[in-house]
Amino acid sequence: MSDPTSNPFSAVEPNSDLLSVVLRINGASHALQIDPRATLLDCLRDTLQLTGTKKGCDHGQCGACTVHINGRRRNACLALAAVHEGDEILTIEGVGTPDRLHPLQAAFVARDAYQCGYCTSGQIMSALALLQEPCGPGDDEVREYMSGNLCRCGAYANIVAAIQDVRGQS
Amino acid sequence: MSASHSAPTQASPMNVIGRPHPRVDGALKVTGAARYAGDHYLPGMLYAVPVGATIAKGSITAIDAGVAEQMPGVRAILRRGSFPPLGRAELDMSSADTTSILDEFRPPFDDDVVRYYGQYVALAVADSFEQAKAAADAVRVSYAVEIPDVDPALVAEKMTVKSERGDAEAGFAGAAVTIDQRYAMAPETHNPIETHATLAVWEGDALTLHETTQGVINHRNVVARMLGLPAEKVRVISRFLGSGFGNKLWPWTHSPLAAAAARTLGRPVKLVLSRAMTFQSVGHRPRIEQRIRLGATADGKLTSVRHDYVNATSILDSYEENCGEATPHMYSTPNLRVTAGIARRNIGTPTSMRGPGAVPGLYALESGMDELAVALGMDPVELRLRNEPSIDEGLGVPFSSRHFQECLRVGAERFGWSRRDPRVGAMTRDGLTLGWGVAACSWIAERFASNAAVDLRDDGTARVACAIQDIGTGTYTVMAQMVAERLGLPTDRIEVALGDTRLPAGPVSGGSMATASLVAPIHEAVAKAGAALIAAACAAKDGPFSGSRPEELDFVEGKITAKTGNRQAMGFDTVLKALGMPAISGSGSGTGTFMAPGKPTVSKHSFGAHFVEVTWQPETARLRVARTVSVIDAGRILNPLAARNQIEGSVVMGIGMALFEETHYDARNGAPVNASLADYVVATHADAPAMDVHFLEYPDTSLNALGARGVGEIGLAGTAAAITNAVYHATGVRVRELPLKLEHLMS
Ligand code: FES
Ligand code: FES
Repeated sequence: MSDPTSNPFSAVEPNSDLLSVVLRINGASHALQIDPRATLLDCLRDTLQLTGTKKGCDHGQCGACTVHINGRRRNACLALAAVHEGDEILTIEGVGTPDRLHPLQAAFVARDAYQCGYCTSGQIMSALALLQEPCGPGDDEVREYMSGNLCRCGAYANIVAAIQDVRGQS
Repeated sequence: MSASHSAPTQASPMNVIGRPHPRVDGALKVTGAARYAGDHYLPGMLYAVPVGATIAKGSITAIDAGVAEQMPGVRAILRRGSFPPLGRAELDMSSADTTSILDEFRPPFDDDVVRYYGQYVALAVADSFEQAKAAADAVRVSYAVEIPDVDPALVAEKMTVKSERGDAEAGFAGAAVTIDQRYAMAPETHNPIETHATLAVWEGDALTLHETTQGVINHRNVVARMLGLPAEKVRVISRFLGSGFGNKLWPWTHSPLAAAAARTLGRPVKLVLSRAMTFQSVGHRPRIEQRIRLGATADGKLTSVRHDYVNATSILDSYEENCGEATPHMYSTPNLRVTAGIARRNIGTPTSMRGPGAVPGLYALESGMDELAVALGMDPVELRLRNEPSIDEGLGVPFSSRHFQECLRVGAERFGWSRRDPRVGAMTRDGLTLGWGVAACSWIAERFASNAAVDLRDDGTARVACAIQDIGTGTYTVMAQMVAERLGLPTDRIEVALGDTRLPAGPVSGGSMATASLVAPIHEAVAKAGAALIAAACAAKDGPFSGSRPEELDFVEGKITAKTGNRQAMGFDTVLKALGMPAISGSGSGTGTFMAPGKPTVSKHSFGAHFVEVTWQPETARLRVARTVSVIDAGRILNPLAARNQIEGSVVMGIGMALFEETHYDARNGAPVNASLADYVVATHADAPAMDVHFLEYPDTSLNALGARGVGEIGLAGTAAAITNAVYHATGVRVRELPLKLEHLMS
């Protein structure tokens, strides 16, 4: 468990305005002092420097911040960090690493299922959840299930192909 | 190549150019390990949140920051007078210095006049983002309010002739068949998923910016001017960019603001724009009104083309949307006149958005051509085939490589166009009415000046470096491919460094010119490194080539070979080891062609044709883009995997342009009222059609030795017109105002 005052990048003085919480992220516990207003997204990024989870809108409209909370996909920008004590949070950093890609991540690379890569963490987290959801076999169903994740680069065809590869539906 | 979904093959060195190549930075992107500008954190870093004007016209009378300044963690509420005024860097695209360009000239906090909604009037800086945001919200600004002008009906200050030949008026008057129509386009906002971000850190009098920019060198030069620094005191880093589509081409006011705040407070400052702010202060494609007049003979030969257009711009800046870029060269006509004008509004300064000029221009021209085909009773593919020019009639010079007719023919074949029943609403499938439309596309093919450096290392790897950016188009990968091909190495032996002003100067990533600009400098850098290795090998007292003379040796595919005799070639790593040298370097440079002085001797453009099928269900007013075929003539394709992605992404964006995208400005206060990704609708997964992309591969060596042009923008040109032309075919309704709205179709 990390030390609550160990964030070297935070200029915030630990004080009574902050809440002490313990968050379970990617299988590890983190004891943190956080602003009660902090979203889970800002907490992941600003407090823990887990910057794989992206902010595209901060309003639950783009899906770039998608994480899993207790196995279900959620927009981290719509969740207050402080209320997720005890929950199992999974971020893109917990899915695979550049040397050990998850099959879904490998499929994204093989299919060129991105351009700029900024929506990609969210696409992969949504797709990972989709694999467990009651999504029908067709491309149309996948498109419907993935429509909460915007890709302004428009790599949609390749994203669906990557997901279908992993589902064995291509 | 075809666009079927086949798994990419891992490229071997010999065919690394022109084969589908997965991205070399892919593993970083899919694991969240790629660090974008906003992903950087520094010890002691403060967070800045701008306060934007809530009026679009008037002046600031007072800023009350009393409450905000007392809030926890707040370091400062900066405003005009908090730091010395920032300098001006008034250089636009027409200036001789093409490496310090911007669109919004006025530095932030320059005066108390407000000219658009969201103009920054103060900056809250605090220890955390939450604290800075709360403080920004608590700043009270008083204004002397005036009524803003955001009127969408545009009347130009004056019209300027952009291109003219023959007598367009007489050609029109004497034509057997004419079309005279107006086409309007709503303001579009780029909306890359990554919003703009700046992290500014000073070390003494030197500044480093982690920045969301499509041009690190240009950004450095502009910010240095504004801060009164020599350019070498500023370093700009942009290793990963969440795209930009143009709104990160030129610097916007938040960046010098963050730098000034960091200087004032003596701490690193991070400033990340909210989604709403990106609708206000970092450019947009402005509202555009166009008029197309076409005259033709009864057998479909154009006798006159007139294209007049006006775009909105801001109060202070004269942004021009060059809609007539493609008009003079697209079709053959003896008589043509293209005129342009601007109209000022209390809206933030517009900027280039993917395919600036030609994209909106071709929406109008290609709609007009479809209307002409209907008026003539002629197939729209046939009409275009009949008006093929043999040279660029606008410039009076030959095309470097133009295969537009083949694009039309191949596209028609792939689409099944011969089965088209031209009658409106006559085609059906599964109870849906089908509409089939076609439109042409064209985009400039130019290059910028660029430098590059290549290091050969004794471990058999190489490094290529250029201060260019990868905005999502695959620049990391294509640079690795270019070096790998020259050195006979797989791409995993090539390290690519980009996105840092400390590297050899490179161009902006814009205008679809990055790839074409890199070929000459990279090839030269490899050759120079090889020559340096030969020289060192010959000069060595005791080595494999001691005693040879440089002119007896060659550097081919990473090996030193003797020009004559059958001496064994030796790889650069072996030679370096033998010489005891860890590495050897070479540098190269290439000239630019874009906006080069003097009359061009050849016209360089890419071409293409889009075919679109829409389905229309009148009972439920449901319109869908069902499938598209795009045939693109963009020279040699260096990485078909990434290139196809660019065209598909453009078609998806074109669906948004045709059907969804519109920024609404409130007439009362000038606010972009739909400034969110819920209210400004972009195409989603569910909107993506079945897309077939096909490239004609005619290498165009007028631009570079590999024959590549560019593919980042051309796919958006013509797409919206192909969609609205298909909608006409399905419904009989001609949509002349984008985006198309269902009420257009239900009347
Ligand atoms: S950042 Fe959370 S949905 Fe967009
Ligand atoms: S890859 Fe750029 S937004 Fe999806």
